[in-house]
Amino acid sequence: MIKKLITPFEKIARSQKTIILIVWIVFLLLLWFFGTSGQKHLFPNPSQVLEGFKGLYNEGLVVHIFNSLKLCFISIFLATLIALMFAYLWPIPMLKPVSEFITKLRFLPFTGLSFYITLIIHEARNMQIWIMVIFLTTFLTTSLISVIKDIPQEEFDHAKTLKCNRWEVLWQVIVLGRIDYVIDSIRQNLAITWMMLVTVESIVVASGGLGFLIKNSDKFMNHGRIIALQMIILLIGLLLDLGINYIRKAIFRYSKI
Amino acid sequence: MEFELKETLLYVENLSVAYDDVVIIKDINLTEKDVVRKDVENTGQIIAVIGRSGRGKSTFFKALTGLVPLHSGKILIKDFESTDASAAKIVKEGDIGFVDQKYTLFRHKTVAQTLKFALKKTKLTDSEKETKIKEYVKKWGLENCIDKYPNELSGGQRQRTAIIEQLFSSEKFIIMDEPFSGLDVGNIEEVKNAIDLLCDSSEYNTVIFSTHNIGLAIDLAQVIYIIGYPTINGKLQNYGTIVAKYDLREMGIAWNDKYTDHAKLHKEIVHQMMIS
Repeated sequence: MIKKLITPFEKIARSQKTIILIVWIVFLLLLWFFGTSGQKHLFPNPSQVLEGFKGLYNEGLVVHIFNSLKLCFISIFLATLIALMFAYLWPIPMLKPVSEFITKLRFLPFTGLSFYITLIIHEARNMQIWIMVIFLTTFLTTSLISVIKDIPQEEFDHAKTLKCNRWEVLWQVIVLGRIDYVIDSIRQNLAITWMMLVTVESIVVASGGLGFLIKNSDKFMNHGRIIALQMIILLIGLLLDLGINYIRKAIFRYSKI
Repeated sequence: MEFELKETLLYVENLSVAYDDVVIIKDINLTEKDVVRKDVENTGQIIAVIGRSGRGKSTFFKALTGLVPLHSGKILIKDFESTDASAAKIVKEGDIGFVDQKYTLFRHKTVAQTLKFALKKTKLTDSEKETKIKEYVKKWGLENCIDKYPNELSGGQRQRTAIIEQLFSSEKFIIMDEPFSGLDVGNIEEVKNAIDLLCDSSEYNTVIFSTHNIGLAIDLAQVIYIIGYPTINGKLQNYGTIVAKYDLREMGIAWNDKYTDHAKLHKEIVHQMMIS
């Protein structure tokens, strides 16, 4: 039984998988409780983190989460629109280099670009949005072009044999045929978005947000608050991931990605 | 069985296709005519193309369907829209239906949407389209999956949908690239029935398919073409062309249930394939 659990590629029962997961969670919690019970500890103990939660809640955690989510959704919406435009233009030979160029920009450093954005946009909230949009666009465009590249030639040929002209092929195979993949690309890039969002909020201080809270906690070396915030950020990120995946499956019955 | 060849349906002359100056197929010539049998209402044409891998069968099919540009030569099909019985037109994308090995369909369309889309460019009215869809769905046993997406269909349902879709769009010609590849006995029978159904439904319906199964080709086809590398002046060339043709109608094999001795023909076809 134990041998099976530690042998590569062995198939185990669903109940055994659940037990393994519970064991790991209990192990992690025990490590946290006992590892932080002494006088000196690098990581805050559970009561410090709980205190952190209380403090954050009293400081308007819910409003900050709302602000972060608002920034996240506005940025994703705008970036998706722009990225889709570049991705859908990619099959056009004349415009392919432009779309390819956009994907290369994802290697640009964050700070350099934010400097130029600061020169153009003076309102902090807009600045946050456009920094996010520009960076997200590069990542989303890369993902969407990759989705298009993965479409088998048979699908294009199939549309052509049905007397579709080239624009109809683009519309049927790429735009309509891969609309569920757009949602999946957003989901896959959500981790980067969420990570970037917290950083942007901490660099450009506007109307609060989780990044702003982290920066403040960081300043006062409040470990309990920092960990509490990290846990909140992780949890919201995971919930968004689950939510988007659920929406994709609910809307597109044919989507089996 | 008594038969007669009428007007030309498909005419291929000196066809060659090259990718980046590499010649894949060359000097392909063939003529297929409408075959009419005595006392049989509709006899569609069934043509098999066989050959070893890499000899250009798929390229030949892509050329026939207008999916790849021709390096030289021409492909003509009967112009069904013309009142002149001998009128022909040059093949362009969409004139000849193409069903690939995977039975590709639009992943975002249900069977009903797929068939409706295939009829989009026809001159039928909306009600005529509805009637036609209903008729085919019933005849081809797809009534229970009309609202299903391709990923919800069984292999057989998917095959039939793909065939009807191409038939709706192209009307008379259908090319099937290895339709029996990877299928079990049951599915093979389903595809065979689908091809028979196609040929029984219109005099002009013409099915061209490729296969590696020589027995199936002999069972189903009226004409077998072998595509292989030709030998010219004792030297084996490295482009595909038609190296042999077997007219099973003339040989008394087509439509002949009593003919069961495939072994000799099978052996000869294998020999042709091996030397090309």
